[in-house]
Amino acid sequence: MATTAEGFDAHHDHGHDAHDHADHKPGFFARWFMSTNHKDIGTMYLIFAIIAGIVGGAISGIMRVELAEPGIQYLGWWAQLMGGASDVNTALHMWNVFITAHGLIMVFFMVMPAMIGGFGNWFVPLMIGAPDMAFPRMNNVSFWLTVAGFFSLLFSLFVPGGTGPGAGTGWTVYAPLSTSGSVGPAVDFAIFSLHLAGAGSILGATNFITTIFNMRAPGMTLHKMPLFVWSVLVTAFLLLLALPVLAAAITMLLTDRNFGTTFFNPAGGGDPVLYQHLFWFFGHPEVYIMILPGFGMISQIIATFSRKPVFGYLGMAYAMVAIGVVGFIVWAHHMYTVGLDVNTKMYFTAATMVIAVPTGVKIFSWIATMWGGSLSFKSPMVWSMGFIFLFTVGGVTGVVLANGGIDDNLHDTYYVVAHFHYVLSMGAVFSMFAGFYYWFPKMSGRMHSELLSHIHFWTFFVGVNVIFFPQHFLGMQGMPRRYPDYPEAYHFWHEISTYGYYIMAGSMVFFFVNILYALVAGKKAEANPWGEGATTLEWTLPSPPPYHQFETLPVITDSMDYHDHRPATA
Amino acid sequence: MKNSILALLAAGLAAFAPLSVAAQDAAAPAVAEAVQVVGAQTAPGAEAGVGNLTPAEASAAPAGEGAYIPMAPTEGKGMPTSYEDDPLKSMTFQDQYTANGEYALGMHDYVLLPVITAISLLVLGLLLYVVMRFNRKANPVASKTTHNTAIEVIWTIVPVIILVIIAVPSITLLARQYETPPADAVTIKATGYQWYWGYTYPDHGDIEVISNMLDPAEAVKRGEPGQLAVDNRMVVPAGVPLRIQTTASDVIHAFAVPSLWFKMDAVPGRLNEKLLTIPEPGVYYGQCSELCGARHGFMPIAVEALPPAEFAAWVRAQGGSMPGEEAAAAAPAAPEAAPAAAN
Amino acid sequence: MAGKANHDYHILEPDIWPLVGSFSALTFTSGMVLSFHPEVFGAASSFVMWAGLAGLIATFFMWFKNIVVEAQRGDHTPVVQLHMRYGMILFIASEVMFFVGWFWSFFDFALFPSPLEYDAATGATTSLFGTEGALAQFIPEGMEVLDPFALPLLNTLILLCSGTTVTWAHHALIHGDRTGLKQGLWATIALGALFSCIQAYEYSAAPFGFGGNTYSSAFYMATGFHGFHVLIGTIFLAVCLYRAYLGHFTPRQHFGFEAAAWYWHFVDVVWLFLFVAIYVWGGWGAEFH
Ligand code: HEA
Ligand code: HEA
Ligand code: CUA
Ligand SMILES: [Cu+2]
Repeated sequence: MATTAEGFDAHHDHGHDAHDHADHKPGFFARWFMSTNHKDIGTMYLIFAIIAGIVGGAISGIMRVELAEPGIQYLGWWAQLMGGASDVNTALHMWNVFITAHGLIMVFFMVMPAMIGGFGNWFVPLMIGAPDMAFPRMNNVSFWLTVAGFFSLLFSLFVPGGTGPGAGTGWTVYAPLSTSGSVGPAVDFAIFSLHLAGAGSILGATNFITTIFNMRAPGMTLHKMPLFVWSVLVTAFLLLLALPVLAAAITMLLTDRNFGTTFFNPAGGGDPVLYQHLFWFFGHPEVYIMILPGFGMISQIIATFSRKPVFGYLGMAYAMVAIGVVGFIVWAHHMYTVGLDVNTKMYFTAATMVIAVPTGVKIFSWIATMWGGSLSFKSPMVWSMGFIFLFTVGGVTGVVLANGGIDDNLHDTYYVVAHFHYVLSMGAVFSMFAGFYYWFPKMSGRMHSELLSHIHFWTFFVGVNVIFFPQHFLGMQGMPRRYPDYPEAYHFWHEISTYGYYIMAGSMVFFFVNILYALVAGKKAEANPWGEGATTLEWTLPSPPPYHQFETLPVITDSMDYHDHRPATA
Repeated sequence: MKNSILALLAAGLAAFAPLSVAAQDAAAPAVAEAVQVVGAQTAPGAEAGVGNLTPAEASAAPAGEGAYIPMAPTEGKGMPTSYEDDPLKSMTFQDQYTANGEYALGMHDYVLLPVITAISLLVLGLLLYVVMRFNRKANPVASKTTHNTAIEVIWTIVPVIILVIIAVPSITLLARQYETPPADAVTIKATGYQWYWGYTYPDHGDIEVISNMLDPAEAVKRGEPGQLAVDNRMVVPAGVPLRIQTTASDVIHAFAVPSLWFKMDAVPGRLNEKLLTIPEPGVYYGQCSELCGARHGFMPIAVEALPPAEFAAWVRAQGGSMPGEEAAAAAPAAPEAAPAAAN
Repeated sequence: MAGKANHDYHILEPDIWPLVGSFSALTFTSGMVLSFHPEVFGAASSFVMWAGLAGLIATFFMWFKNIVVEAQRGDHTPVVQLHMRYGMILFIASEVMFFVGWFWSFFDFALFPSPLEYDAATGATTSLFGTEGALAQFIPEGMEVLDPFALPLLNTLILLCSGTTVTWAHHALIHGDRTGLKQGLWATIALGALFSCIQAYEYSAAPFGFGGNTYSSAFYMATGFHGFHVLIGTIFLAVCLYRAYLGHFTPRQHFGFEAAAWYWHFVDVVWLFLFVAIYVWGGWGAEFH
């Protein structure tokens, strides 16, 4: 270590350089509980996200089974299992607890940890040629705060929350249902869950921005940076600027609940709609937080398996910037029915639709990347192509909802549920699976089975479409959201939707078997298993990469463009 | 107030009104009977059962119940349609019964739906095309093209144009939805409670209707859709501008009726207001559309639009009065009111 | 520990404090919930909160101690110092957004006071427009607020003054004048403490309580969070003073001090907004205490 400020002690030496330093790993406890290694932390994030995905997915299973038929089937049983009373209101409250837990877990503890914490941690440093993150210790606190947040949410399930155990406010935690409408500690635990996870994410965002700005390999200008890194950069800014507003809003919830402030209490002049403004000022950027890293991964994967540089690189990068910026000024499209005045509604209608333009640029640029390419349909590629189609379907229904006058009918119906599951449970989740299969060999050093991952893809594709496509019909027919029961007329499509869940659940078996197979018996992965299309820096390292990579920084020469970062010798 | 009711009673236009308020809570079996009667009287295909009743017939309604008999809903009108009844209808919007609803539905069916379908199919088609045309066998050597300014401009400009095309009817729709109610519009205030609705009629002597969900089995027995039917409906005059106001007493609820393309949050401490005109008599069902706690799914809305005369009768049956009536009632109110109510 | 590493980045040893800190935070927040709800958890449960807080304080202490040790050891190469600059700026940016939340609610209440009379018992609302022509008021009739040009103005001057003293300390540091550094820091810390005392006095003497209406809610939460930041900033500066006595900073490398100064200026600017918006503009026309 070279530069030492004058007057300082010389850097002290650790004297364990007997064997290859780069691969020296700490002992088990130090390695996993005290980690300052971005790859280990990334791995923990991924494992955590998978566990949360199983929990959140299981809860959605409970929900789908309950909704398969009209009437209340199982909620009473669940309520009692959670320690609630056996009356009807407790049973019905359980529904609200399930959807709240499902929404929060999927958003804060599955998608965000997987995309940003998991893939971001693993591959941002690798792709920019950095030995680690800028703040390795803070990186670890980000992870453990996420875990702590998850625990707080779990606590909330077992304590009183109003009409039964658990927080039944919806993931949006609207006041006054979440304040005067839910007595008991459950909502406080849920709110603190967001504080903890949010603090972790803010610290993580600082870490990513600093890493990306300061630790790029010599010669890697911003305009030579892989698009996945661009996507994490934009996402980190969204996190940094949006999450603190949520923190303020939910702090107001806490003081309204416990200290008699009246931010959202009309009896003291407060305004419940203010909470919605604050929440959605965070909430809308949040939905792009959940999709932008996916955009980044899709860009890498499409280019790799087309053996072609990504089409319109700069347009792709700045489209994400544009989505991020415009994402901050469209929030009230979630509030069309609260009683906004007409001009406000017209503005938000117009502003919201604008986002379709940069998003369209991305969709068409991906297709143009494939155009003229030499495509091989490895598992990451099929997931990516599935992403492009299904995200488009989800995106265009977003444009329908963007019309304030149309949303008057569709707001808070299953049409919205269908919309956001197309962009999340298909958009975000498909991109996560794509990224997972793309980088699994790099991370684990083992090849997964292409056959199993293709089966996983096709069955999952069918499953989620059967779940969510009929929900558009339900929504248009008027089926409201957050209902445990419904008139007989909605029976048919709900039942179909639940069948889709079974297909999807079966499909996940292939995913887990595939991981196990790969870890136990998978072929050893080469440094670059995907061939000449894989041109970013992570493929220049062995699989898995050494514990400390890039001890000598790679150099991106002037002759290299944004696309190919491999050293000339490779 | 009481006097005016008595006067009207005497005129034989709204019999037995003093019972009505009490009856709201106690009249379930009587109402069931009434529905039977209406069912029997309604000719097949008639749009609105009670709507066709003449005042004479109305006053012939069973004793003890008053002139007002809850209208029998028409299958498929103002309520969701099941797949079994009509697969296609179960996959789209409910039929619309307001002018704005028709406009909005038209905008969805003729602008939005075709556009989004076309875009999705275009993307799918392009994907399938590149799969077939550019797979490794068909195209072993990849091109290195990374830019084409013309095409990039096109795929930026064309979506902009499409969005502008969408924006025009969209903004028009919003402007129409925000028309201010005329001064003489009938005001009805819907208040959300955990977990039922209260409807007050400030122009009609402040009558208040408390509306709870009917037990689904009971509803089906009465020929109404389960989980949508209520004991006391929000009764409104058809063909007349209504000033619908919403608010709530505890948490946020939302007053929503899909077949009227109407949804407005009921927020504690706020009074939201919007114009609604229902041209045709009928029963239009809706449901609370903002999460409001345990029984959020069980506080339905049933709007019953009646011809103005029958609405007036209903008002009197509730113990209310038509606007401007109170003063007149003391004087010879009955003769004056009679023609108005009989038309 | 970058034994053979050929770069200037700071690769860290494993560290237990992130884990301890996170679970202390969880203990702290959970402890708060327990103490909010004696009806569920019994009255004696606040020790959980204190345990969590103790863990948090221990974490902060150890964490920053480790950073200082590493700095002294020479781990903070120029590029690592640059990281810290970015980190601090971004952290402050997120703090700014946090205050945006509080100002947002303040301005919402002040500019769009609820136009309704609201009866909490029945939930009945009546529009105040039209009926008697009365516009809703942000500050309820008869409520007294603090006179902005008394103690708040003094506090403004104190904070502005402390901004200059911290700059004095910085200049002294850059010019190798350790005495000046210490004096400047002492002055800043004293001014900060004075600010906090006056603020505490003002809270205790304020004519209105914490809850009850939007003015007091927004007032206490916004100024309270600011006050909390003043405390943190004062502690941060005190640590710098202590380090100055240990002889830690050099004219060329003293990022710990700079971070504290940036933070202090941020706290200062937030106060200016609070003063102008909440004390002066927000209380305009109301009765003074
Ligand atoms: C990953 C998450 C994600 C993403 C990316 C989006 C993307 C979009 N969303 Fe969505 N949305 C959610 C997650 C997301 N949303 C969630 C979770 C909710 C519900 C929250 C809750 O209430 O619980 C929600 C709700 C929601 C609403 C509120 C509905 C309601 O509650 O009434 C609206 C309304 O405007 C909306 C609009 C949009 C739009 C216009 C986009 C656009 O960004 C989409 C842009 C993409 C395309 C349009 C497709 C590709 C483009 C082309 C192929 C070009 C050509 C296209 C055209 C010319 C149209 N969304
Ligand atoms: C990312 C977000 C996300 C995801 C993936 C899902 C996935 C699913 N969701 Fe949900 N959902 C929400 C976010 C999400 N949801 C939100 C925000 C709400 C609103 C809540 C509210 O109203 O407050 C909601 C509400 C909601 C409802 C409406 C409830 C109501 O209004 O009453 C329903 C009903 O069917 C539903 C069903 C499902 C189903 C069947 C799935 C299935 O697709 C689930 C299958 C499981 C997976 C797809 C996860 C698999 C992933 C892993 C195992 C991790 C893999 C990890 C790596 C590769 C690293 N969800
Ligand atoms: Cu009332 Cu939902
Ligand atoms: Cu949005």
